[in-house]
Amino acid sequence: MATSETTLVHGGATAALAPRLTTVRAVIKFIRTKPLGAAGAAIILGMMIVAASSGTLAPYDPYQADYAAQFARPNLDHWFGTDEFGRDLMSRIMYGARIALFVGFTASFVGCTLGGLLGVISAYCGGKVDLLLERLMDILLAFPQLILALAIASILGPAVQNVVIAISIPIIPRAARIVRAAALSVKENIYVEAVQALGAAQRRVVLRHIVPNVVAPYIIIVTAQLGGAILAEAALSYLGLGAAEPTPSWGLMLSGSALSYAEKAPWIAIFPGIAISLGVFGFNLFGDSLRDALDPKLRRKG
Amino acid sequence: MRIYILKRLLLIIPTLLGAATLVFLIMRVIPGDVALLILGGDQGQIDQKQLVAMRQQLGLDQPLYVQFGTWLWGVVRFDFGTSLWTGQPVVQELLIRLPLSLELALLASMVSVVIAIPLGMLAAVRQDSWVDYLVRVISIGGLAIPGFWVGILCILFLVIVFGWGPPLEFTPPWINPWANFQMMVWPVLTVGYRYAAVTTRMTRSTMLDVLREDYIRTAWAKGLHERAVVVRHALKNSMLPVITLVGTEFAFLIGGLVVTETVFTLNGVGRFVVDAVAHRDYPVVQALIFLTAFSFVIVNLLVDLTYAWFDPRIRYH
Amino acid sequence: MTGPSSRIPSSVVLLALVAGSLILAMVSPAPAAETPRRGGVLLAVIGADAPTLDPHQEGTFATLQVVAPLYSTLLQIDPYNYPKIIGDVATDWKISADGLTYTFKIRSDVRFHDGSPLTAADVKTSYDKIVAPPAGVRSMRKNAYTMVASVEAPDATTVVFKLKHPSASLLDNLASPWNVIYPKKYLDRDPNYFLKNVMGSGPFKFKAYTRGSTFEAERNPDYFVKDRPHLNGYKFYVSPETSVRAAAIRSGRAYIEFRDLPLSEVEAIKRALGDRVTVQHTPLIGQWGIAIQNTIKPFTDVRVRRALTLGIDRYTASRVLFPLTGLRHVGALMRPGTEWAVPPAELEKLPGFGRDAERNRAEAKKLLAEAGYPNGFKVVLKNRNVKLPYQDFAVYVIQEWRKIGVEAENRPLETAALLADVRDHGNFELSVSATVEYLDDPDVFLRRYTTGDPTNVGRYSDTILDDLFARQTRALDPVERRKLIVELQKRVLEQAYYMPGLWWTRNVVHWTKVKNYVAPPSHYTNQKLQDVWLAED
Repeated sequence: MATSETTLVHGGATAALAPRLTTVRAVIKFIRTKPLGAAGAAIILGMMIVAASSGTLAPYDPYQADYAAQFARPNLDHWFGTDEFGRDLMSRIMYGARIALFVGFTASFVGCTLGGLLGVISAYCGGKVDLLLERLMDILLAFPQLILALAIASILGPAVQNVVIAISIPIIPRAARIVRAAALSVKENIYVEAVQALGAAQRRVVLRHIVPNVVAPYIIIVTAQLGGAILAEAALSYLGLGAAEPTPSWGLMLSGSALSYAEKAPWIAIFPGIAISLGVFGFNLFGDSLRDALDPKLRRKG
Repeated sequence: MRIYILKRLLLIIPTLLGAATLVFLIMRVIPGDVALLILGGDQGQIDQKQLVAMRQQLGLDQPLYVQFGTWLWGVVRFDFGTSLWTGQPVVQELLIRLPLSLELALLASMVSVVIAIPLGMLAAVRQDSWVDYLVRVISIGGLAIPGFWVGILCILFLVIVFGWGPPLEFTPPWINPWANFQMMVWPVLTVGYRYAAVTTRMTRSTMLDVLREDYIRTAWAKGLHERAVVVRHALKNSMLPVITLVGTEFAFLIGGLVVTETVFTLNGVGRFVVDAVAHRDYPVVQALIFLTAFSFVIVNLLVDLTYAWFDPRIRYH
Repeated sequence: MTGPSSRIPSSVVLLALVAGSLILAMVSPAPAAETPRRGGVLLAVIGADAPTLDPHQEGTFATLQVVAPLYSTLLQIDPYNYPKIIGDVATDWKISADGLTYTFKIRSDVRFHDGSPLTAADVKTSYDKIVAPPAGVRSMRKNAYTMVASVEAPDATTVVFKLKHPSASLLDNLASPWNVIYPKKYLDRDPNYFLKNVMGSGPFKFKAYTRGSTFEAERNPDYFVKDRPHLNGYKFYVSPETSVRAAAIRSGRAYIEFRDLPLSEVEAIKRALGDRVTVQHTPLIGQWGIAIQNTIKPFTDVRVRRALTLGIDRYTASRVLFPLTGLRHVGALMRPGTEWAVPPAELEKLPGFGRDAERNRAEAKKLLAEAGYPNGFKVVLKNRNVKLPYQDFAVYVIQEWRKIGVEAENRPLETAALLADVRDHGNFELSVSATVEYLDDPDVFLRRYTTGDPTNVGRYSDTILDDLFARQTRALDPVERRKLIVELQKRVLEQAYYMPGLWWTRNVVHWTKVKNYVAPPSHYTNQKLQDVWLAED
């Protein structure tokens, strides 16, 4: 499979025709050419800052119940109001960002890394190994992501770490498939055969040539799966299979009682939903634009 | 072509067998004794002798490999055993709930395709304009909003503002279309908008691919009117990838069913899975998860075959 | 008054006035007594689907509420006069002087829905199934009948229960709404026939059942109580999501929910519908508390257990949790307000029930320090994965324990996994524990504090408790029995083997057009619906 990027055979180096950019200039170019992606990045950054500094930023302890202030409307004391136990909603949402980001990043990274490894091994070894791994991945791929995550989460029980495992497993075959395709394309490159003919060690072939070329698709799929992972965590928590009370998970905040108390205290149902939507929106925007920037095939389409 | 079909069919058999095995393993690893659960009820008193008898009755005292063999043999004959919770054959329980989920899935796909294809085409044709940006933002945003939240807000809105509640019982559309509509319209929209978001994006990128093809440029050069170019040539040729996309995103739809049926409390297959998991009803969960994988594989197969039918190059891959 | 032409005697006028007012009274609608209207189908929502249709083999309201109107029982609890016991098919009964023989006379005009008569033989076979179920048949309430030696049917209208020892609770148990009477001929063929089938003698006949969706029944025209039932039939809609059930009532798609709706939903419905809806607030015979695994450290130390129970401010809990969950009344191990309850004055002296929360907490910290935990400790609280009231209760208790330095982690499990861990294997440290029954029966509520009982999840053994229990179950004198029961409760609480939390209440919401339904303190009883009528369709 030919890439649309011109490669120069030059003593072991592969260089793209486009000039090398320093990181700073690359970032500035990204912001200018992809404003949507930059907006997404800004959202993500904001979320990360809030999550990291929620200890200092949050006005209250998210677990602290205040029985005198149950169902308080948003006011100066409680900007987002309080929930049924008088816990400050804004603090809970801030701490909830930690959980969302933790689950999103971990599940996506773990799933994509494991999948990527399997993909590279599969492409590099070829033959029976490839066939076996492909079959395994096919089997895993036969299950819709949420269904598989649901089944696994129900085995492990409601807890944040179990949600991470449950979500990362369906990601593995999807990452494996993409990375394998990228690795295969490199392998079939005539240049590599030439290098092998020259007698270079197998391992060096892989490391020097295959791995760098799969980095881009790897990054793409990690960012693509991030938003989905956060949504999956929210859905599983909503179904009662994720984080348990009194953990301030956004999905958990929306389950059951949010509907029951909605007329009395609509803010309980509104703010966590906005938080989830905003977070996933940011990740999707960023991921989309990143893919456009990194994937040469799509470069021309914008 | 026939050889291709045969080859593909043969290929899916090990996949399905593997899926069946995986499902069995997953369910056996779940902690919790279903016999205990059945005897416990809300909170009851457990008699050890009754517990042993119950386990025997449910076939849980057999060694694992025997249970596995029974399961596999049943899968082949489409006999998934009896529900441990209710004692009814699983297939029967499934058939009661299937019409609702099927209708939900079909209507959601139809609605989303009706919305997505024109939108996607519009964005592709007007690439990089404000229309394009708007469509992209809407579709990415649509994907970001959690389905269950939309469902919740929907119900709240209807109840609080209109004091209206949906019908509690599923009536098939050929018996009472109005009652059916009232029950299904909101869940269909909830599932459909996410599906529409995905389809819009794919339609747009596929259209963009097609618009750059040489023959389109030739049509432009020939001076054909834009609409003629778009509708007659681009649309026809981007339909195939879109069909492919609709097929592969089918899994997406099934995931949406689970959550939406729970939120709207519909008596469908999606909610059935969640309930069965809670009850440790192995036969039902195994059957449903396997059937989900099965239908997904079949849909993909059909899509591949359709693709191969239209594009002979694929057959000789 | 009198004119020249009319000379009406005053007595006639008086008579006319009296006659006139009598006529007027008969013609104008009587404000007090309403005449039941015959007709209409009662639409109800229910929160769960019945696993099977046999109440002998189930413990869930999901089964009982839908099939109770289809069957009759030997005795029942008076729907208008809890906890008085009256007969259903039984007309009267005699207890022998030694308390070992109970003789019941039953009606001769009761028929099953297939036309066959209900005789004492049917009662006997049904009870044999409950007391001594054959292999492959489960009986949920078997352990309540260990004192029954045999059930006889000497003739068609007489049933005799012979006991091994006198029992103060037998009549209560025989009034259980779960003990429905099946026709002998079906039971003889297959004792599990009624898991999926219905053949009863109740005011309603089975019509249709769609799993997970609806359950329908219609009037039994040959019911043995004349002019009953008033309704043409009833229909239950299954709807597990609480808010959807509330929305159903609010929009009029259903008229009644027989179990409970949270206060916030009830308030919203009342605001929207005003007088068209009636709310009945009743106590429920159910208690939520915390079970302690008494055989593992640090709970082997009574000081640690006492500290934990001292750390829970039950009176504030009542205030906070009531609007959220319905948990309300502070009490010991028998329901407050009943004859078996520990009187409030004595209750407040027991650990955890004092009114001064600060003092209780200080004492708890002191006890913990004495026991070797000056900085508290970490513990896992296992729980059932159901929101109301399990999760909310846990959130409150965890918050309270933080104040005395105990960090509890809430771990919800699926019901099956929880039962396995807590009941089967004793694999827990602390666990939220609930007891919900149809009757305030001391045997049922207190048996779990005896050594070796399957529901003694705390796994403690105290001979004093065993002795008190054995004596109270045989005590036929209520005064004597009460003394024993109060003493038993005090002992459990002083030793803190188990920590009771709060007793439950509920809100039954229904459209006012549903008449003559009195919500009892249990969602298991008064479900026959034979006296209920609809003022309009």
